[in-house]
Formats: sequence, C-alpha cells, structure tokens
Amino acid sequence: MAKPRKTPPVQIIAPDSYPQMLSKPRAARALHSLRAPETAAKAQAATEAAMPGMRAAILQYVQEMEQDRSDTARLFEAAHEIRGFAETAGMITTGRIAEVLCRYMDDLMRLGRPVDPTIVTLHVAAIARAARAEDDSVRAGQAVAAELAALVAKRLSENEPG
Amino acid sequence: MRALLRALLNSAGIKDVIEAGNGQMAIEMLRERKSDLVLSDLAMKPMDGLELTRYLRNSDNSPNPFVPIIMISGHTEKYRVEAARDAGVTEFLAKPITAHNLFARITEIIERPRAFVRCDSYFGPDRRRHQHDDYTGPWRRRDDFQDTEVR
Repeated sequence: MAKPRKTPPVQIIAPDSYPQMLSKPRAARALHSLRAPETAAKAQAATEAAMPGMRAAILQYVQEMEQDRSDTARLFEAAHEIRGFAETAGMITTGRIAEVLCRYMDDLMRLGRPVDPTIVTLHVAAIARAARAEDDSVRAGQAVAAELAALVAKRLSENEPG
Repeated sequence: MRALLRALLNSAGIKDVIEAGNGQMAIEMLRERKSDLVLSDLAMKPMDGLELTRYLRNSDNSPNPFVPIIMISGHTEKYRVEAARDAGVTEFLAKPITAHNLFARITEIIERPRAFVRCDSYFGPDRRRHQHDDYTGPWRRRDDFQDTEVR
C-alpha cells in the first residue's frame, strides 16, 4: 500500500503560478507611464492642487484637538492624521510636532501609562500655532519642535521600565 | 487622503479607481469588481486595514487572496509595520505620501511580484525580501528547505 503523501508545512507559490495584476503588455505600459517625467510633473501638479483641501482638513483636526484634550484616543487619532497629512500639505513644522506627540502618546499607551496633560497641552498649542502660521518654515517653529522632542525624550526615559 | 491618492493615480494614467470608506465596504466593492491593486489605510473604522488584509488573504469568501495590497499609514513604528507585514500586505507606504514613493511601490509590485507562502500560521507574500545565494551561515529554521514545496 502506498504511503500517504506528506503535506508540506510550507508551500511556496511562485509568481507565475497565481494570477498577476496585469498582463505583460499592460504591465509594460504601466511601468513606462509610472516612470515618465510627464507623470512626475502631473503628480506634482495634483499634489499642489490638493494642498488647500489638506490644509483645511489639518486645521479642522487642530480645532478638534483644542476643543477636547481629555479624550486621549481621539487626540491621538487627530495627531496621527495631522502627522500623516502635514508634510504633503507643505506644513513641515506642524507635521514634526504632531510626530513627536504621536510617538509620546503611542509609547505611553503601549506601556499602559497615562499621558502627562502638560506635555499634551504644549504640543497641541505648538501644533495649532505652526498650522495657523502661513510661513511654515519660521525658525521659531523649528525650535519649538526641537524643544518638545527633547522634553518628550526626557519624560519617556523617566518612564522606561526598570 | 483618498482624493490625493486618486489624483496621483490618475496622473499616472490609472483612471479606474474605486473608493471605499472602510474595510467592510472595500470587501463588498472587491466582490463586485475585479481589482488589480488595493491601497488601504491602516486606521479605518469599523474594519481597519489589518483586518481587511487578513480577510482578503485568509477568508474562504475572499474575492482575491492574491491581490497586491499597499498599506498606507502614518503609524511607522516598527511593531506596526511588522503587524502589517504579518497580516499579509505586499508593500507598506509610510505617510507623508509622495508621488515618488507611491509610484515606487506600484512599480515594485509590477516588476518584482513576490512569491506567496502558505503555512499553518500565515498566508501572504513571502516576507523575506532578499535571497542571499552566497549565504554560508547556519539555517535559522529547523525545516528550512526540507519540507518546502515550490509550485
């Protein structure tokens, strides 16, 4: 009697064994288009056209953050959205400050520890100021971002286990 | 964000784009229309990007378990990227989104489609990115290359 064939614990399915997203001619056309200089120019124009909408969305999130700083989950969500949008919208400093706040909140939430309301308030104020400033490259904004990052790093090191 | 993505895709000649507000809606749309590529945000409600990916890869009712998935997120912490990888995403795109990064991920998927791996605990694109043909060190898994079937 033939021995039953052992089913391998790992099966590797090569790319030519499953349906590919594009046929070869369509893939070649798509690659050509993705790499074309005119595509890059069109994409740049599309990004610039989307900027006012993104800025408006960021200001909406800022307003939400300012209105209620007690709901940590919502605050984190708003900061996260700002972090995701800001740089694409040309609001570099706003994005950097939101990034620091996200990192701080994420680390503490993972440790199951409460966030420090003072740190949150300082960040929300700095995000709001940077977002509402027309000239996002102001040096003061960069300095605030660096100071807040140092403050958060210090507080997080104080919270490290052990 | 969806508006920006649509505009960027359109600028590359990808005109047929459908949008869903969350994972559940995406599954329903994918059932109705064959799609070449899924771009998903990680943070969505009620079904987030990880749940969507797990469903598409593992559910018996999945409209296409092999569909390429690009996960987009501002959550770039290592543990979150690893969670996305382990759910079965094809590529991870960190926010802020740029046309260059988006197009690079799509190019990668078209040019270098990944093998899929099926085992007890995972189904999805091969998570190993590099094949070192000149690797001379010890294998890290007891059954490396012994119980592997290549189709």
